[in-house]
Amino acid sequence: MVDFEPSKQDLEEVRAQLTEKLGHIARSVEYVPGAGILVEVPVKRIREAVKIIHNDLDAYLRTVAGVDERPVKGVFSAYYVFGLDSKHVNIIVVAYMDSDKPSIPSVVDIAPSADWYELEMYDLLGIRVEGRRLYRFILPEDWPEGLYPLRKDVAYNIRPEPSLRSREAISGPRIPVGPYHPALHEPEYFELYVEGERVVDVRYNGFHVHRGIEKLGESRFTYQQVPFLAERICGICGFVHSVCYTQAVENAARIDVPERALYIRSLVLEVERLHSHLLWIGVACHLLGYDAGFMHAWRIREKTMVLAELLTGSRKTYGINLVGGVRKDINRDKIGKVLDTVKWVEDEFKKLVEVITSVPQVVKRATGTGILPKHDARAYSVVGPVARASGLNRDVRRDYPYAAYKEVSFKVPVYSEGDNLARLLVRVDEVLESIEIIRQLLDQLPQGPIMAEELEIPEGRIGVSSVEAPRGEDIHFIITGKGRPYRWRVRAPTYQNIPALKVMLKDAPLADAPLTIASIDPCFSCTDRVVVVDARTRKRRIISLRKLSKINCIGCLI
Amino acid sequence: MSLLKPFKLIGIAHRSGVVTVRYPFQPPLVTPEFRGRIRIDASKCIGCGACVNACPSNALTLVDDGERRALNYFIGRCIYCGRCADVCPVGAITISREFELATDNIGDLNSRVIHYKATCSCCGEETTATERMISYVVSRVPVTETYVHMGSRCRKRRFIEGLMMGRGMIYGESER
Ligand code: SF4
Ligand code: SF4
Repeated sequence: MVDFEPSKQDLEEVRAQLTEKLGHIARSVEYVPGAGILVEVPVKRIREAVKIIHNDLDAYLRTVAGVDERPVKGVFSAYYVFGLDSKHVNIIVVAYMDSDKPSIPSVVDIAPSADWYELEMYDLLGIRVEGRRLYRFILPEDWPEGLYPLRKDVAYNIRPEPSLRSREAISGPRIPVGPYHPALHEPEYFELYVEGERVVDVRYNGFHVHRGIEKLGESRFTYQQVPFLAERICGICGFVHSVCYTQAVENAARIDVPERALYIRSLVLEVERLHSHLLWIGVACHLLGYDAGFMHAWRIREKTMVLAELLTGSRKTYGINLVGGVRKDINRDKIGKVLDTVKWVEDEFKKLVEVITSVPQVVKRATGTGILPKHDARAYSVVGPVARASGLNRDVRRDYPYAAYKEVSFKVPVYSEGDNLARLLVRVDEVLESIEIIRQLLDQLPQGPIMAEELEIPEGRIGVSSVEAPRGEDIHFIITGKGRPYRWRVRAPTYQNIPALKVMLKDAPLADAPLTIASIDPCFSCTDRVVVVDARTRKRRIISLRKLSKINCIGCLI
Repeated sequence: MSLLKPFKLIGIAHRSGVVTVRYPFQPPLVTPEFRGRIRIDASKCIGCGACVNACPSNALTLVDDGERRALNYFIGRCIYCGRCADVCPVGAITISREFELATDNIGDLNSRVIHYKATCSCCGEETTATERMISYVVSRVPVTETYVHMGSRCRKRRFIEGLMMGRGMIYGESER
């Protein structure tokens, strides 16, 4: 069985709509199974195409992949992947650019979520995005100008001499902040600009440990090795990435994955969601100073970790996924253990939630704080519990079913408040839904092999796959190559959610910031460093999130 | 009533009791499925390198010095995925449950199997195969016996000579 296919009727409808609205600019409109409807437009008309798809068709921007296709097609290209939830189909707009001086007009004013993607294209591929401010975004500041690591003529293992030129190019008054400590705390950090106790602006500074995983997958690894690399993108929802990668390859190559393997993938994905949500609920309690809740959430979570080890051989980074299926089967004995464990988790969790949602320091501080209104959520294309807490009814498991999700029924919790409490409640509901899904999966588990027999991966095919990670939709875009992906584009959920933090934090009291930042369940496990800048005096202090969560008065900081 | 709800936690805590284990004084909670470091059975390994090709993290490497070939396992890079055990044609690799691998001597993290390369039965030079690989092939496919003991260069030469001796059709020989 190959991944989900949209219905013929939906496809025809969307295709007709696209031909009608984009007919005058599109060079071609074709359906690529396993990816979506591919629309090629001249690079000059990209803005018109994006405007029509994003605004008129109400599709949201899921990811953008810049590709150096010079060795095969003699051009650079940019693929904009839009999701049309109502029709369960992706619309992929592709524009080809000149191979000498690639450039493309910016679409950030039409689709604000394109911001990071454009910066990334410029930084890693040297594609000039016209009509916006471009600056170094991902690469370190001492990386030499004009060396674009994702280009195919750049080796994956080069270590260029640090160039001081770009460092000098920074202008304006700056107060050095540091050091970043990649080992102790994950080195992303936020700058909160405050006036008194109000946050007036937010800046995010990240990518300090960008490891060039995409490049590695495209040059050093083989198809069957990448799942293990993909799993290491995230320490909490790693299995999501390995499933997403393998599905993208399977979609591109039209590989028939045995049904039993699909069920096992779904099962392990849900076990992963259980542990991730329980972890988050614990951390949220901890940030609110309610450590008893934290301890008990983690006590319950521990059972799901042991369960994962029993099913896969490892507590985390399970390593059971390959292109074509899974490596580890489950038997009757294990099914019994899973059912016992989820029953226990369900009982204990319900008791705990009853307590947590009655503790004043949790409820009062989560209610009405960190609000993300629905229209902002829509504009930033946020995903996962963040979207569902702001009234966007969006869940990849239902909208673009993959693995065995079309065989089970489950509810998608949606809240309209958009505050921290709503995000907490979405996750609480999802834990219980996950348990239901696990039960249904085990009940219907089909017999059969767990690995596809034929694994032929032709070159030059496109595959898109998305997986609902605990923190939102994860999406991988693949162009197949010889023995390994030609292009492997990964977009993790937090990438889409962080820009929306600006809205949530602005004009809110500083004391709410730690919970609000944590409420998107950022993928870097402890976004610990916060810089507080007084907007009037421009004085800075770095404090840890933990400490910030304990203080209520800004006066004792500055 | 709802004011008292938070205190229910006391009951929950009381019922669950102590959930942690006094590790290392008690044995760790590792399930039977746990994947730890691998063990290579030197008496079985034939030095084919299939595991090296499969290993995602370069924990297994082949080092060649012409005469010998070492299969080296470096725990420091191992991600305990067990792919090597999947692909080994002779089942020389087993996945153990050992995980307490910290050490202050880096030597403890490396282990290797040394193989001797087979020499060509024709010219006497080292071939690219190990002696064990050849015995393995011979034990499986007895028909290949004449060629299998030769290096690739001699094998090609013999093949062309065979052609010239009239096996198959020759269109003609070009002048030197
Ligand atoms: S377990 Fe995995 S990482 Fe370790 S040596 Fe085997 S293949 Fe390599
Ligand atoms: S695959 Fe097996 S036989 Fe071949 S080198 Fe590795 S351990 Fe030895």
